Amino acid sequence: MRIEKRLVEGRPLTVIIEYPEWNESVESLVRKIGRMDISFVGKTEEGSVNIGISDVYYIENVERKLFIYTEGDVYRFDGSMSDIESRIEDTALVRISRTCIMNTDHLKEIKQIRNSHLEAVMDNDEKLIVSRKYLPDIKRIFKREGI
Amino acid sequence: MKRILRDTCILSALMTLSVFVISIVWVGMTDEIKLVLELFILSFIISLGNYFLDEYTSLPMIGSYAVKYIAATGLVMLFGFIAGWFYRSNFWMAFIYVGIVIVLAYFIDAFKIKRDIDYINSGIKKKKG
Repeated sequence: MRIEKRLVEGRPLTVIIEYPEWNESVESLVRKIGRMDISFVGKTEEGSVNIGISDVYYIENVERKLFIYTEGDVYRFDGSMSDIESRIEDTALVRISRTCIMNTDHLKEIKQIRNSHLEAVMDNDEKLIVSRKYLPDIKRIFKREGI
Repeated sequence: MKRILRDTCILSALMTLSVFVISIVWVGMTDEIKLVLELFILSFIISLGNYFLDEYTSLPMIGSYAVKYIAATGLVMLFGFIAGWFYRSNFWMAFIYVGIVIVLAYFIDAFKIKRDIDYINSGIKKKKG
Protein backbone atom coordinates (compact mmCIF):
# COMPACT_ATOMS: atom_id res chain seq x y z
CA MET A 1 0.00 0.00 0.00
CA ARG A 2 1.35 3.41 -0.95
CA ILE A 3 0.53 6.43 1.20
CA GLU A 4 0.65 9.89 -0.36
CA LYS A 5 0.09 13.10 1.52
CA ARG A 6 -0.20 16.57 0.08
CA LEU A 7 -1.05 19.96 1.49
CA VAL A 8 -4.01 21.61 -0.21
CA GLU A 9 -4.87 24.89 1.42
CA GLY A 10 -8.42 26.17 1.68
CA ARG A 11 -10.06 22.78 1.26
CA PRO A 12 -11.46 20.40 3.83
CA LEU A 13 -9.48 17.29 4.76
CA THR A 14 -9.99 14.85 1.89
CA VAL A 15 -8.99 11.19 1.78
CA ILE A 16 -8.94 9.48 -1.60
CA ILE A 17 -8.61 5.71 -1.68
CA GLU A 18 -7.54 4.07 -4.94
CA TYR A 19 -7.97 0.33 -5.10
CA PRO A 20 -7.40 -2.33 -7.76
CA GLU A 21 -10.44 -4.26 -6.56
CA TRP A 22 -13.04 -3.79 -3.82
CA ASN A 23 -12.33 -6.31 -1.06
CA GLU A 24 -12.64 -6.70 2.70
CA SER A 25 -9.43 -4.77 3.48
CA VAL A 26 -10.56 -1.79 1.41
CA GLU A 27 -14.01 -1.90 2.99
CA SER A 28 -12.46 -2.03 6.48
CA LEU A 29 -10.15 0.90 5.64
CA VAL A 30 -13.07 2.99 4.37
CA ARG A 31 -15.07 2.12 7.48
CA LYS A 32 -12.17 3.08 9.77
CA ILE A 33 -11.63 6.43 8.06
CA GLY A 34 -15.37 7.06 8.13
CA ARG A 35 -15.42 6.44 11.88
CA MET A 36 -12.72 9.07 12.38
CA ASP A 37 -15.19 11.60 11.03
CA ILE A 38 -17.79 10.93 13.72
CA SER A 39 -18.83 13.98 15.65
CA PHE A 40 -21.27 14.81 18.41
CA VAL A 41 -23.37 17.91 18.87
CA GLY A 42 -22.57 19.30 22.29
CA LYS A 43 -24.59 22.05 23.93
CA THR A 44 -23.37 24.93 26.02
CA GLU A 45 -25.02 28.07 27.40
CA GLU A 46 -24.00 29.87 24.19
CA GLY A 47 -25.36 27.30 21.75
CA SER A 48 -24.41 24.10 19.94
CA VAL A 49 -20.90 22.97 19.07
CA ASN A 50 -19.71 20.15 16.82
CA ILE A 51 -17.23 17.99 18.73
CA GLY A 52 -15.01 15.66 16.70
CA ILE A 53 -14.53 12.18 18.12
CA SER A 54 -10.78 12.78 18.48
CA ASP A 55 -11.46 15.77 20.77
CA VAL A 56 -13.58 13.74 23.16
CA TYR A 57 -11.78 12.65 26.33
CA TYR A 58 -14.73 10.95 27.94
CA ILE A 59 -18.52 10.92 28.07
CA GLU A 60 -20.25 10.62 31.40
CA ASN A 61 -23.80 9.99 32.49
CA VAL A 62 -24.59 12.11 35.54
CA GLU A 63 -28.10 11.72 36.90
CA ARG A 64 -29.44 10.60 33.51
CA LYS A 65 -27.85 13.53 31.72
CA LEU A 66 -24.94 13.02 29.35
CA PHE A 67 -21.89 15.24 29.35
CA ILE A 68 -19.04 15.23 26.85
CA TYR A 69 -15.66 16.16 28.26
CA THR A 70 -12.88 17.44 26.02
CA GLU A 71 -9.41 18.51 27.17
CA GLY A 72 -10.73 21.54 29.01
CA ASP A 73 -14.45 21.89 28.30
CA VAL A 74 -17.71 20.18 29.17
CA TYR A 75 -20.74 19.98 26.88
CA ARG A 76 -24.23 18.68 27.43
CA PHE A 77 -25.31 15.96 24.97
CA ASP A 78 -28.91 15.12 24.13
CA GLY A 79 -29.03 11.38 23.66
CA SER A 80 -28.51 8.15 25.51
CA MET A 81 -25.50 5.98 26.28
CA SER A 82 -26.85 3.38 23.86
CA ASP A 83 -27.07 6.03 21.08
CA ILE A 84 -23.40 6.78 21.64
CA GLU A 85 -22.40 3.13 21.92
CA SER A 86 -24.03 2.36 18.58
CA ARG A 87 -21.88 5.06 16.93
CA ILE A 88 -18.52 4.31 18.52
CA GLU A 89 -18.10 0.73 17.38
CA ASP A 90 -14.55 0.20 15.99
CA THR A 91 -13.37 3.55 17.37
CA ALA A 92 -11.02 4.30 20.27
CA LEU A 93 -13.97 5.03 22.55
CA VAL A 94 -14.90 2.30 25.01
CA ARG A 95 -17.22 1.92 27.97
CA ILE A 96 -15.27 1.78 31.24
CA SER A 97 -18.11 1.73 33.73
CA ARG A 98 -21.88 1.79 33.79
CA THR A 99 -21.82 5.58 33.49
CA CYS A 100 -18.68 6.41 31.55
CA ILE A 101 -17.22 6.02 28.05
CA MET A 102 -13.53 6.87 27.61
CA ASN A 103 -11.42 7.74 24.59
CA THR A 104 -8.35 5.46 24.75
CA ASP A 105 -6.47 7.85 22.43
CA HIS A 106 -6.24 10.24 25.39
CA LEU A 107 -5.45 7.60 27.97
CA LYS A 108 -2.14 8.12 29.76
CA GLU A 109 -2.16 5.17 32.15
CA ILE A 110 -4.30 2.63 33.98
CA LYS A 111 -3.50 2.20 37.66
CA GLN A 112 -4.63 -0.17 40.34
CA ILE A 113 -5.20 2.00 43.37
CA ARG A 114 -5.81 0.98 46.97
CA ASN A 115 -8.76 -1.33 47.59
CA SER A 116 -8.03 -2.79 44.15
CA HIS A 117 -10.04 -0.08 42.41
CA LEU A 118 -8.90 0.75 38.89
CA GLU A 119 -8.20 4.27 37.77
CA ALA A 120 -7.64 5.66 34.29
CA VAL A 121 -5.39 8.72 34.12
CA MET A 122 -6.12 10.86 31.06
CA ASP A 123 -3.67 13.06 29.14
CA ASN A 124 -5.04 16.13 30.95
CA ASP A 125 -4.46 14.31 34.29
CA GLU A 126 -8.16 13.79 34.96
CA LYS A 127 -8.83 10.51 36.72
CA LEU A 128 -11.70 8.15 35.91
CA ILE A 129 -12.85 5.06 37.77
CA VAL A 130 -12.67 1.92 35.62
CA SER A 131 -14.88 -1.03 36.40
CA ARG A 132 -12.95 -4.34 36.41
CA LYS A 133 -15.66 -5.81 34.20
CA TYR A 134 -14.75 -3.49 31.31
CA LEU A 135 -10.97 -3.92 31.48
CA PRO A 136 -10.93 -6.67 28.79
CA ASP A 137 -12.84 -4.27 26.45
CA ILE A 138 -10.09 -1.66 26.82
CA LYS A 139 -7.45 -4.32 26.20
CA ARG A 140 -9.34 -5.41 23.07
CA ILE A 141 -8.95 -1.91 21.58
CA PHE A 142 -5.17 -2.05 21.92
CA LYS A 143 -5.16 -5.59 20.54
CA ARG A 144 -7.27 -4.51 17.57
CA GLU A 145 -4.89 -1.68 16.83
CA GLY A 146 -2.09 -4.25 16.81
CA ILE A 147 -0.24 -2.56 19.61
CA MET B 1 -5.34 -22.33 25.63
CA LYS B 2 -7.94 -20.28 27.52
CA ARG B 3 -10.36 -20.60 24.60
CA ILE B 4 -9.79 -24.37 24.39
CA LEU B 5 -10.48 -24.75 28.12
CA ARG B 6 -13.62 -22.59 27.90
CA ASP B 7 -14.87 -24.48 24.84
CA THR B 8 -14.14 -27.80 26.59
CA CYS B 9 -16.27 -26.74 29.58
CA ILE B 10 -19.15 -25.56 27.35
CA LEU B 11 -18.98 -28.69 25.21
CA SER B 12 -18.91 -31.04 28.20
CA ALA B 13 -21.87 -29.20 29.77
CA LEU B 14 -23.83 -29.53 26.51
CA MET B 15 -22.88 -33.21 26.18
CA THR B 16 -23.92 -33.88 29.79
CA LEU B 17 -27.24 -32.13 29.27
CA SER B 18 -28.03 -33.89 25.99
CA VAL B 19 -27.03 -37.34 27.36
CA PHE B 20 -29.17 -36.74 30.46
CA VAL B 21 -32.18 -35.55 28.45
CA ILE B 22 -32.02 -38.77 26.41
CA SER B 23 -31.60 -40.82 29.63
CA ILE B 24 -34.62 -39.09 31.23
CA VAL B 25 -36.73 -39.96 28.18
CA TRP B 26 -35.35 -43.52 28.11
CA VAL B 27 -35.08 -44.58 31.78
CA GLY B 28 -36.62 -41.69 33.70
CA MET B 29 -35.09 -39.47 36.38
CA THR B 30 -32.35 -41.04 38.50
CA ASP B 31 -30.64 -39.55 41.58
CA GLU B 32 -27.43 -38.86 39.63
CA ILE B 33 -29.26 -37.03 36.84
CA LYS B 34 -31.26 -35.06 39.40
CA LEU B 35 -28.07 -33.98 41.20
CA VAL B 36 -26.40 -32.78 37.99
CA LEU B 37 -29.53 -30.88 36.89
CA GLU B 38 -29.73 -29.25 40.33
CA LEU B 39 -26.09 -28.19 39.98
CA PHE B 40 -26.90 -26.64 36.59
CA ILE B 41 -29.81 -24.69 38.09
CA LEU B 42 -27.67 -23.55 41.04
CA SER B 43 -24.86 -22.47 38.68
CA PHE B 44 -27.36 -20.45 36.66
CA ILE B 45 -28.69 -18.69 39.79
CA ILE B 46 -25.14 -17.95 41.05
CA SER B 47 -24.05 -16.67 37.61
CA LEU B 48 -27.11 -14.41 37.48
CA GLY B 49 -26.32 -13.01 40.94
CA ASN B 50 -22.67 -12.57 39.95
CA TYR B 51 -23.70 -10.65 36.82
CA PHE B 52 -25.91 -8.23 38.77
CA LEU B 53 -23.24 -7.72 41.44
CA ASP B 54 -20.64 -6.86 38.78
CA GLU B 55 -23.06 -4.64 36.86
CA TYR B 56 -24.57 -2.63 39.69
CA THR B 57 -21.90 -2.42 42.38
CA SER B 58 -18.44 -0.90 42.29
CA LEU B 59 -16.95 -2.47 45.38
CA PRO B 60 -13.22 -2.98 45.81
CA MET B 61 -12.07 -6.38 44.62
CA ILE B 62 -11.80 -7.95 48.09
CA GLY B 63 -15.16 -6.48 49.12
CA SER B 64 -16.77 -7.71 45.93
CA TYR B 65 -15.45 -11.25 46.49
CA ALA B 66 -16.52 -11.15 50.15
CA VAL B 67 -20.07 -10.24 49.10
CA LYS B 68 -20.00 -12.95 46.42
CA TYR B 69 -18.76 -15.48 48.98
CA ILE B 70 -21.57 -14.69 51.41
CA ALA B 71 -24.21 -14.59 48.65
CA ALA B 72 -23.03 -17.79 46.96
CA THR B 73 -22.74 -19.66 50.28
CA GLY B 74 -26.24 -18.51 51.24
CA LEU B 75 -27.59 -19.70 47.89
CA VAL B 76 -25.78 -23.04 48.09
CA MET B 77 -27.09 -23.61 51.64
CA LEU B 78 -30.63 -22.62 50.73
CA PHE B 79 -30.59 -24.67 47.56
CA GLY B 80 -28.88 -27.56 49.37
CA PHE B 81 -31.57 -27.66 52.07
CA ILE B 82 -34.36 -27.56 49.47
CA ALA B 83 -32.66 -30.25 47.36
CA GLY B 84 -31.72 -32.30 50.43
CA TRP B 85 -27.96 -32.12 49.85
CA PHE B 86 -27.04 -31.48 53.46
CA TYR B 87 -27.78 -33.07 56.79
CA ARG B 88 -28.58 -30.53 59.49
CA SER B 89 -25.21 -31.29 61.06
CA ASN B 90 -22.97 -30.64 58.06
CA PHE B 91 -24.51 -27.60 56.38
CA TRP B 92 -21.35 -25.61 57.24
CA MET B 93 -19.57 -27.62 54.52
CA ALA B 94 -21.09 -25.12 52.07
CA PHE B 95 -18.66 -22.49 53.44
CA ILE B 96 -15.74 -24.75 52.50
CA TYR B 97 -17.06 -25.74 49.06
CA VAL B 98 -17.79 -22.15 48.08
CA GLY B 99 -14.66 -20.82 49.81
CA ILE B 100 -12.34 -22.98 47.71
CA VAL B 101 -14.01 -21.83 44.47
CA ILE B 102 -14.02 -18.17 45.54
CA VAL B 103 -10.34 -18.16 46.59
CA LEU B 104 -9.33 -19.73 43.27
CA ALA B 105 -11.51 -17.28 41.32
CA TYR B 106 -10.05 -14.33 43.28
CA PHE B 107 -6.45 -15.24 42.48
CA ILE B 108 -7.21 -15.95 38.81
CA ASP B 109 -9.07 -12.62 38.57
CA ALA B 110 -6.25 -10.69 40.31
CA PHE B 111 -3.69 -12.24 37.96
CA LYS B 112 -5.81 -11.44 34.88
CA ILE B 113 -6.33 -7.82 35.98
CA LYS B 114 -2.60 -7.32 36.55
CA ARG B 115 -1.82 -8.83 33.13
CA ASP B 116 -4.47 -6.69 31.37
CA ILE B 117 -3.21 -3.49 33.04
CA ASP B 118 0.38 -4.28 31.99
CA TYR B 119 -0.78 -4.98 28.42
CA ILE B 120 -2.78 -1.73 28.20
CA ASN B 121 0.01 0.40 29.71
CA SER B 122 2.63 -1.06 27.40
CA GLY B 123 0.20 -0.46 24.49
CA ILE B 124 -0.13 3.20 25.50
CA LYS B 125 3.66 3.55 25.68
CA LYS B 126 4.09 2.05 22.19
CA LYS B 127 1.27 4.16 20.76
CA LYS B 128 2.61 7.41 22.14
CA GLY B 129 6.21 6.57 21.39
